[in-house]
Amino acid sequence: MTLLPEQIGDLLGLSGLPAEIIGGLIGATIIGSIILANAALAGPWAKRKITAAFTDRISVNKFGPWGVGIIIPDAVRLLSKELIVPEGVDRPAWDLAPLIIASSALLGFAVIPMGSLGPIEFHLADPEIGLIFVFAIASIASLGLVMAGYASNNKYSLMGGLRAVAQNLAYEIPLILVGISVVIFAGSLQMSEIVAAQAQTLVELGPVDIPMWFAILNPFAFVLFLAANVAEVGRNPFDIPEAPTEIVAGYQTEYSSVYFVLFYLGEFVHIFLGGALIATIFLGGPAGPILPGFVWFLIKIWAVFLLTQWMRSALPRVRIDQLIEIGWKGLLVGAFLNLFLTAGIVGVLAI
Amino acid sequence: MSDWIAIGLLAVVAIAIPITMMVVSWLIRPSVPEQGKRATYESGEIPTGSSRTVRFNIQYYMVALLFVVFDVEAVFVIPWTVIFEEAVGEVGFVQAFAPMALFLVILLIGLAWAWRKGAVEWAKSPRANRQLID
Repeated sequence: MTLLPEQIGDLLGLSGLPAEIIGGLIGATIIGSIILANAALAGPWAKRKITAAFTDRISVNKFGPWGVGIIIPDAVRLLSKELIVPEGVDRPAWDLAPLIIASSALLGFAVIPMGSLGPIEFHLADPEIGLIFVFAIASIASLGLVMAGYASNNKYSLMGGLRAVAQNLAYEIPLILVGISVVIFAGSLQMSEIVAAQAQTLVELGPVDIPMWFAILNPFAFVLFLAANVAEVGRNPFDIPEAPTEIVAGYQTEYSSVYFVLFYLGEFVHIFLGGALIATIFLGGPAGPILPGFVWFLIKIWAVFLLTQWMRSALPRVRIDQLIEIGWKGLLVGAFLNLFLTAGIVGVLAI
Repeated sequence: MSDWIAIGLLAVVAIAIPITMMVVSWLIRPSVPEQGKRATYESGEIPTGSSRTVRFNIQYYMVALLFVVFDVEAVFVIPWTVIFEEAVGEVGFVQAFAPMALFLVILLIGLAWAWRKGAVEWAKSPRANRQLID
C-alpha cells in the first residue's frame, strides 16, 4: 500500500525530496478539500435537512436538488457579514481562537486511512504513533475554546470557556483509555496496522464472514467511546459549553462574520474527525463489501454524523454537575473496567 | 520521515484554508463602524464591568488536579498496550498483566478515595448554598 504523496510523486515522475514535498502538498490539498466538501455539505444543508426530518418540517428545498444549492448563497451570506469587534477584546488571542479550532480539526485527518477509490489510496501519512497523533491534535481545539472564552471580554463567553475546560477534563481520559484498549488487540498505534488487524475473520456465518471489527469484538468499548466522543466534540447531550438556552452561545457569543464561520466549520470538521476515528479504530476503517473503500469510509463518518444529529434532536442537555459525575464516576470507571476486560479477552484468545 | 513532511504540509494547508476564508471575507464584507454595536453583549442591557474583573468559583478545581494524575497514568498505559499481546506469548498472561493490573488498582484506590472525599463533584459555591438556606 502506497500513501497519497508517493502516488502523486510517481504520477508526476518525481523522486527524492521534491517528490515528497510536491506530492505531499498536492495530497494535503486533496485531503483538505475532501474534508471541506463534507463539512460544507453537512453544515448548511444536511444538518438542516436532518433536523427538519426529525421535527417534521420541510427545511431548505428551493435551490438545486433537495435544496443542496443553499450551500452557495449561505457561504456568500456568512462571509459577507460585517465583522464586529466588541470593546475590550484581547487581540490577537481573539483572532487566533477561530483559526486554531478550524486548523486543528483539519490537521487530525492527516493520519486517517480513507480507503481507495479506483487506483487512488486516500491516506496522507502513516506514522507509527498515528492514534496518539489524532488524540493530541483533537485536544488542541479545547485551547481554542478557552482562548475564545477569555479573550471575548464577555461573561457568557467566559462561562462557556470554563465549562469547555470542565467538560474536556471529564472526557479526555475515558476517551484515551478506551481508544488505546483497541491497541491491545492490534498491537500497534499505526493506523494502517489497526485497520489491517480488523480485516481478519472473526467467525464464519454460512457464506458471510464476520470481520474482526473491534466494535463487534468489544461492544462495551464501542459504546463508551461513542459517548466520550460526543462529549469531546461537544454535541448534545453534552453541548453545555455552548448551551444556547443558558449562556447565549457560550464561547462564540461575540464572534460574527468569518470568525463565526470558522467556529462552525471547526465544529463540523471535529464531528467528522470523531467519526473518522470511530470508523478507523472500531468499524474496520474503509473496509466493506462491494463498494470501494473510500465510499464505505464516507458512509461510516456520515453515519456517526447522523447519530450526533439524532441525539441533538432526541436528547435533553445534561447539567454541568451531572456531566462531571457521568465523566468521572461513570465513564472513567467504565474505561478502567474495559481495559481489564480487553486485556482478559486478549489473554484468553492468546491461550 | 516522509510521513512527517506530509503532516507538516497538511498543517500548512489547514492554516491556509481559514486564512483564505478570512481574506475573502475581508474583501467582500462591509464596514459600518458605530459605537453602539461594539458594546459587549449582555442580553440587551448596558454591560456592567469587564469580564476580566469578575470573580468566579472554579468549581472543578479538584477534578483538574485529578486530571493531571490520570493523564500521566494514560501515558504509562500506552506502551503496555502496544506490547501486551506479544508479551502474553512470551512470558504468559499473568506475567504480562499483573504489574499493570497492580498499577491500575492503586490508581483506582486513589480514585475511590477522591470519590469518598467528594473531589470528583462539581463543587457547590458557598453563595449558592447560602441562598438555599435563605
